Amino acid sequence: MAVSAAVFCLLLLFNAATTNENTTSYNLNTTLGDQNVTFDFMENYTTPQPTEFESTSPTPSSTSTEPPQPTEPLPAEPLPTSGRLPTPVTTVDSVCPCDLHESVCDINCCCDRVCAEELSLFTSCSVDRVSGSQQLCSGDVVSYSLRITIDGYSELQASAGEEPNYDILCIQSQNRVGGLSHPPPALPTDSSFDSLFKEFTSFMFGSEERQVSSAELQDSSGYQYGEVMLTADRGVFLLPAAAITADCVDSSPAGFLKDQSSVCSRRVTLQQHCSSLPPLSMNTYTDIQLLAGKNEDAAVVPVQVCSVVLQSVEGTQTELQISDGGDLPPALLDPSLCANVVLKVAYVVKYSPAGDIVNVSVALVLGFVSEAELTLEQEFHITFVQEDGGGGAVHSSGNPGYVVGLPLVSGTRTAEYPLPAWATPVVVLTGIVGSLDPRDTLSLLLSAEQQDCLRGPQQRAPILFAVDSVSGCTLRLEDAANCSLVQQLLLDVLRGPNPPQHVASFGNSLLDSPMDWLPIKNNLNPGEAQSCSIPLSLHLEVQWTQYGSLMNPQAQIVSIKEIIQTNTTSLEVLSAGSSTLSISSSVAFIPVSAAALPGYRATPTIDAKLPFDFFFPFV
Amino acid sequence: MAFYEVYSHPALIRYKTSVCTKATLFLVVVLCLTYIPPLLVAYRSQGFWMKRSTYEEQPVVRFQYQTLLVAATNTQGDYVAWSTFPHLNNMLGANLRIPAVSVREQDQNQDGKLDLLNLQLHLPLKPEEQVYSVQLLLTFSYKLFRMSTVVMQSLAYVQHSSSVPGAKLFISGDLKLQQRTPLPHRGVYNVYNVSVIDGSSPFASAYDLDNIIKSYQNRNLTTVLSCPMPVWTVGRAAGSPFQINAEIRYPVEVISYRPGFWETIKFAWIQYVSVLLIFLWVFERIQRFVFQNQVLTAVPIPVGKPHQS
Repeated sequence: MAVSAAVFCLLLLFNAATTNENTTSYNLNTTLGDQNVTFDFMENYTTPQPTEFESTSPTPSSTSTEPPQPTEPLPAEPLPTSGRLPTPVTTVDSVCPCDLHESVCDINCCCDRVCAEELSLFTSCSVDRVSGSQQLCSGDVVSYSLRITIDGYSELQASAGEEPNYDILCIQSQNRVGGLSHPPPALPTDSSFDSLFKEFTSFMFGSEERQVSSAELQDSSGYQYGEVMLTADRGVFLLPAAAITADCVDSSPAGFLKDQSSVCSRRVTLQQHCSSLPPLSMNTYTDIQLLAGKNEDAAVVPVQVCSVVLQSVEGTQTELQISDGGDLPPALLDPSLCANVVLKVAYVVKYSPAGDIVNVSVALVLGFVSEAELTLEQEFHITFVQEDGGGGAVHSSGNPGYVVGLPLVSGTRTAEYPLPAWATPVVVLTGIVGSLDPRDTLSLLLSAEQQDCLRGPQQRAPILFAVDSVSGCTLRLEDAANCSLVQQLLLDVLRGPNPPQHVASFGNSLLDSPMDWLPIKNNLNPGEAQSCSIPLSLHLEVQWTQYGSLMNPQAQIVSIKEIIQTNTTSLEVLSAGSSTLSISSSVAFIPVSAAALPGYRATPTIDAKLPFDFFFPFV
Repeated sequence: MAFYEVYSHPALIRYKTSVCTKATLFLVVVLCLTYIPPLLVAYRSQGFWMKRSTYEEQPVVRFQYQTLLVAATNTQGDYVAWSTFPHLNNMLGANLRIPAVSVREQDQNQDGKLDLLNLQLHLPLKPEEQVYSVQLLLTFSYKLFRMSTVVMQSLAYVQHSSSVPGAKLFISGDLKLQQRTPLPHRGVYNVYNVSVIDGSSPFASAYDLDNIIKSYQNRNLTTVLSCPMPVWTVGRAAGSPFQINAEIRYPVEVISYRPGFWETIKFAWIQYVSVLLIFLWVFERIQRFVFQNQVLTAVPIPVGKPHQS
């Protein structure tokens, strides 16, 4: 009831309000043009506006023309440039937002007072309506428009008045001064400037701190994790890496104890760069003198070259016997053949527990590059090992369960079984040069550019735990004439040159616990084959399960099976007329553990025990 | 003489019985059947416990003035790049190309929350260079206040490439919030208030776009720039810079959250009671039939003797 009464009162008030419209017309010659531009001038438009000319039109009776006064007394010492805020312009007929040139007429600005003569050039009004607050029941509105007279000219019609608002819930009278205005801003003073600045500025350009990241003086003389390592000439030990693109960024530092391996590319024009581009020459990576610690007087640790491998254009690698101080600068043998270009760099840094660098050694792969212009790929690795005992550490693929993405641990049983000697454990260090050869472990054929199974060196990739993968090569039918030979060759290609027969069921299985090692089951029986059959695919099926707590489950391999599919019909039928046949090699990991389901820890049972004397008189 | 009903009132009849009778057993069964099945009905018809709800809020977004720009300048893969991170700029060496950037954030409806970011970037190019692709990365500070207070740093990533060199790229899109799991209904949620790009790192790997996007997409709360229609203008005049104009709006978001205990109870109660009313009515009729017709023995006490014991 109270609400409806209030609405009723509002309606009464609205009806009682008489809107007296005062209209003034200018009759000026202008040309024709119409354009609908509305400029809503809200009451809170507080831009300081010079109002030096008198208003010529009668001021409409406005209810909200009182400028909001700053309520707080101004502090004693405002900053010189801020001073006092000018009085905001609130009457709509004196507001002219398009009047941007003082005492010069602005074209198409109909509210510009100095445009008496230029009005004939106007085609439309850029601002044709200036209104006050839309929430008042009768808001002040000044509208400007152009009209064609009977002789073909246009004349400006400016009308100022009040426009009734037919909204039921409009504001009849406004007694809260500044209710529709912005609150008066706090003027900055000497004392409040910093706090105001902090309040209103959060982010801006140039706010990023340029911190000097060189080693500041600290208590410890050794390096800490992630710190850049210094060289003897007060520089920083750099290791090229790829940043926002695949291109090598040469000025990226290497962080202490941050193992890092990066592959990046470099565009090279051999004739121009072969012997002159520093990143291609071995010197750049070997002539480095590192500082053992951060101090000025720290010992100097030179980089020792431990091995240099030379790679031919075809990709075969031979180890060079290099004497101390030997150097192989890149040499241009031919306009399109450059020798001794650095392809891979692997540093091994030995450190002491105090954070001092003890020894740095580097292994390099140099190669021949035989294209006039190419994008050269380079690999850079750095590993940190502890000074004592760290060198022979065996990397395990999990502790105890396998970790997803680490290679399977495999091995070959030696002949002198039943002695518990499981020789040649092959553990693969992912992507580290100088580690054990991935061709000796359980690995998968890697698709190469040549695609032919029987030609060229085959690349192999280690099988990573829980990563299903497939790859393959092609067999040309004319090669398959000598069946028994091709069968053996293909099996060697698919299985790898030295296939292991056992796989560890845990990531950290020990060599002297034979029960932890699973034999690879095999479905191929070589003696059984009556007619020779060509293996078409090799598929490894690894079943693994999870055990242990839900939070930290451990993965265990429960069985591994090698499935070799051979042809049952002739190869010509299989290839369906084409001259090649695809041979595939794949691995699948099958989780056989039951998934954990949400449920009660135990079925809730009613465990209501009555007191022993509850039925006292009866029992 | 016509009669009409001048007044009516229901008469109360009490039925009394002792404890160990069939009527008592009937009463217990009826009470169980009245109050328990509505619970089962409400639960089995799904949605009894409200586990996710939504609300609307316009976030408080500020551009953090961190920018990373990569532009490919020919089809061979040469590039120029620029960022607001000094370490990265130092590493870029000859590939560094400093553009002219102007930024303006607007509050269009004057509610104190910014609505629109205008970013203009002019990338000067050498005569032999053309722009074939652009990668632009901007970071934002993103805050929500209504239910739980969310403070995070987020990312907008624009990637556009064309086989034809361009003069201008115009992007107009919304910075949309993406969430994988609902937010809590209260508290402070600031696990993602960390830099998306570690600008203090001197290592090149900190600026690898792969790493940045990978770690960013791992988050539960992310923002994406939804720009379905980027405009690639071709025909750049010699000597003029490549331009990127971006308009990024900060729209009102529908945010899903996990309701609190009392909100869950309130909605469950509504569902329970609305089903319960039907059961109450049905079993009231059954009880009335049983006792009125004396199906089970009980002693009716009529209205006239209300105070008899």
